[in-house]
Amino acid sequence: MKTRDIVLIALFAAIIVVLGLLPPITLGFIPVPITAQSLGVMLAGCILGARRGAAAVLLVLLLVAIGLPVLSGGRGGLAVFAGPTAGYLVGWVFGAFVCGLIAERLVREEQPELSQLLSFLAAAVIGGIGVVYLFGMPWLAYMSGKAFFETAAASLVFLPGDLIKAFVAMLAGRAVLAGYPLLPQRA
Amino acid sequence: MLNGLDIEGNSPLHRMPVRGKLIVLFAAAILLFLLSDLRLLVPALGLSVALYLSTGIGVAEAARRTRFVLFTVLLVAAANTVFQSPHEGAVVFCRLSTLVLLAAAVTATTGISAFMDEITRLITPLERFGFVRAADVSLAVGLVIRFVPEIFARYGEISAAHKARGLPVRPLTTLVPLIILTLKDADTIAMAIDARGFRRQ
Repeated sequence: MKTRDIVLIALFAAIIVVLGLLPPITLGFIPVPITAQSLGVMLAGCILGARRGAAAVLLVLLLVAIGLPVLSGGRGGLAVFAGPTAGYLVGWVFGAFVCGLIAERLVREEQPELSQLLSFLAAAVIGGIGVVYLFGMPWLAYMSGKAFFETAAASLVFLPGDLIKAFVAMLAGRAVLAGYPLLPQRA
Repeated sequence: MLNGLDIEGNSPLHRMPVRGKLIVLFAAAILLFLLSDLRLLVPALGLSVALYLSTGIGVAEAARRTRFVLFTVLLVAAANTVFQSPHEGAVVFCRLSTLVLLAAAVTATTGISAFMDEITRLITPLERFGFVRAADVSLAVGLVIRFVPEIFARYGEISAAHKARGLPVRPLTTLVPLIILTLKDADTIAMAIDARGFRRQ
């Protein structure tokens, strides 16, 4: 990895931390407040690509583990990884990787705008939602003992908010690609 | 802006080496999932509360830090009580909250630089396989801590610019300039790092 890649990873990790500092948005038709931090995970893959995107998310988790309150709501420390929702955090790393992998394969700079948008949406939905839930739900189910089906199903209340985030990631990913493309020169 | 969650003090947990604390925490996690006897789990929870408070953190601060994770634990325990049995709910509650409090106690008694030194020591063997360089990880951690306040200030400037133009502050219209402006600095920062020979390449 070049120095520039390390700097890009660190700067994006810092952006993810800043997204966690912003106050959560509440929408009338969704029961849970939306935090921008998991949007940062989708964006890391869509903008930096698979390896650098996953590294940026991993760096944020390292900061959490060593005791910095960098998750949304000022959460941090090892306690977060001991809780029942830690699987979603682990899923972030793989989610950013898959998101970046799909974006790297599908998005080309010379494509028309619509196919770029659809590629970014596919990357954000499959990587940023599918893969993250794939880790988060079984982990939650395991941690919750015998009532695993009910608790895993209850975590679906976050799905509408995540779909909105995937939509924002699609638009932002395409806008950054137009303004300052980093995805083609993957690390 | 980014202050660690460690508390100054000289309790036994403070004096314990970082690696020892992590090994004990890991062993406790495995043990707790093997246990399902309330006669053992309830004393374990009491012990972890005592251990967490022995760090000198104070009840209010201790509650403030763990309330979010404990809330999710409570939800999971409630689901077990409703769908399974109150006994199962109590087992899950004791098991998970013991683990959460032990982890919080380790965080409260370990400074960021001490923890980072331990991480560096742990990943140094991986250098041989060419995955990652320990020095690069510390460099990246330092960069994040250095740039978070700056990026946060930049977000404030962008939303002030929106307001000055009478535009609503929307996530999309603030996020894109924030990301592009921030990542555009990468070349200059990378050049500055290389010019100082930090990575010895």
